[in-house]
Amino acid sequence: MLQILQDILGGLWETSGLYGLTQHPANLLMMCISFLFMYLAIVKEFEPLLLLPISFGMFLSNLPAVLTEDMIFHAEYWNMPQSVDWLWMVLHDGGLLDKLYLGVKLQIYPCLIFLGIGTMTDFGPLIANPKSFLLGAAAQGGIFFTFVAAAYLGMSAAECGSIAIIGGADGPTSIYVSSKLLDGADSNLNTGTIALAAYTYMALVPVIQPPIMKALTTKEERAIKMPQLRTPSKTEKIIFPVVVTLVVALLVPSAASLVGMLMFGNILKESGVCSRLVDTAQNALMNIVTIFLGTSVGATCTASNVVNLDFVKVLGLGVVAFGLGTACGLLLAKLMNKLSGGKVNPLIGSAGVSAVPMAARISQKVGAETDPTNFLLMHAMGPNVAGVIGSAVAAGVLLSVINY
Amino acid sequence: MQFLMLANHLIMLAGGIDGDKRPLSGSERWGVTLVGLGVVIAALAILVGVITLFGKIFESVNANQKAKAEAAAAEQKKAKAAAAPAPAPVSAPAKAPVKPVSPAPVQATASTANTDDDEVIAVISAVVAMMSEADGTVYQVKSVKPASGGGFSGRSAWAMDGRRQNVNHTF
Repeated sequence: MLQILQDILGGLWETSGLYGLTQHPANLLMMCISFLFMYLAIVKEFEPLLLLPISFGMFLSNLPAVLTEDMIFHAEYWNMPQSVDWLWMVLHDGGLLDKLYLGVKLQIYPCLIFLGIGTMTDFGPLIANPKSFLLGAAAQGGIFFTFVAAAYLGMSAAECGSIAIIGGADGPTSIYVSSKLLDGADSNLNTGTIALAAYTYMALVPVIQPPIMKALTTKEERAIKMPQLRTPSKTEKIIFPVVVTLVVALLVPSAASLVGMLMFGNILKESGVCSRLVDTAQNALMNIVTIFLGTSVGATCTASNVVNLDFVKVLGLGVVAFGLGTACGLLLAKLMNKLSGGKVNPLIGSAGVSAVPMAARISQKVGAETDPTNFLLMHAMGPNVAGVIGSAVAAGVLLSVINY
Repeated sequence: MQFLMLANHLIMLAGGIDGDKRPLSGSERWGVTLVGLGVVIAALAILVGVITLFGKIFESVNANQKAKAEAAAAEQKKAKAAAAPAPAPVSAPAKAPVKPVSPAPVQATASTANTDDDEVIAVISAVVAMMSEADGTVYQVKSVKPASGGGFSGRSAWAMDGRRQNVNHTF
């Protein structure tokens, strides 16, 4: 009798989470990291809409489970060759977060997020001052120079591209590129770690950018007041998304999904005849996709994926990417200022790293510190939204150049 | 020589780099950077050109429309001066400060504007005069312009009906 009880209790213990924790102590560390991110999201309000779902997804996937059928997320599924059998296995045996992660793996969520962003973006400042496109392009220098830096650290082309795209300061684009490049690649990195680094640094834009902006500009340059922008007509705003989609799709077809959905969202908004669709894309759809994307991407941050030297490299190179992007945008804006005879405030260049609208707000804030009567926000919104298009084009280029 | 080697690598990049290849050669690293940055700048520079061109076209169209409207207004003024005194400014007791009334959204197409304007202005002025008498404030009709875009004129009956059905239909 005593032996039976002992066997039952022993079996119960060996299938318990506590036993799992003793077998995988790194999970405890990951749970502590997820608590840290929850703290940053809730108390410090660092990108809470994304960081909280990501951190909770991380927490859920690191819960210790001994039996594979009890696991909410199976990291090992996502390194297998994909086939119809594999898809059936994910749908049949996978946990909830495995099924949700299919939306990331199949690049559905990033494109839907871009649709929502399109319905919320006003491209008016960019249409009024098309030269802002160049600032958005220059800021993508952060992506490509980081590619070189990552290559010097001995990383593979897929890893270099996935890390470099963090410099685009665009979460959905980072997820889109890394989920394609790292798909089945022999790498310690995964989409979750890339997304985590990208969103962490996006939340830290107010900390990373101002010192670089102040170091690369003089007080006189920061005080430059720019003339008021013209107001584009409704027709221009409706033609704009069609033209941008056409040009980008003709030049970089790999970027067509992202840019196409961004511009589709925008034309829904600007047409003024689809208010119900705009309302859904801006609110319900965006919120649902954000929850699915955040939790499933967070779930990929398992101990084996995060507790390694490569993740430290991702964090280090992520800062380099952000810094270089900011510097490239600022330097081109300085050049434009010289060529225009002092009509361009270089501070708007740093907004070229998409991070909408935070980067534009930083330009406004740093400008207002020098001269409180200087309003740069609308001027910075041009490069800011150009940065979204620029980072999507850069993503398309990386996907075209690197075979995955 | 080195330039030629880099050019050769750039041509090879057209076939793509193997994602798992590790480590990348120096030419491949810089090749991706140069090609990538070049394509992004080229794509956005083309957009600068196209959007600037569109902007210029729309500006000139708007300028033309404005010039036409101004010319029409000037002609109208001349015609008014030649004809009987226009019904224009309504002046009631000059005790209160003058408050301009915002232009009424009068629906008038370009072809009918010239012929009907005097009658429309007379009607509006009469209504404004009645308002002046009612509340004792002096109002002045400063301008009457056709409403551009929106309204019923910008949408066909079919589109209006479709929209009405959409709004009324509950899923």
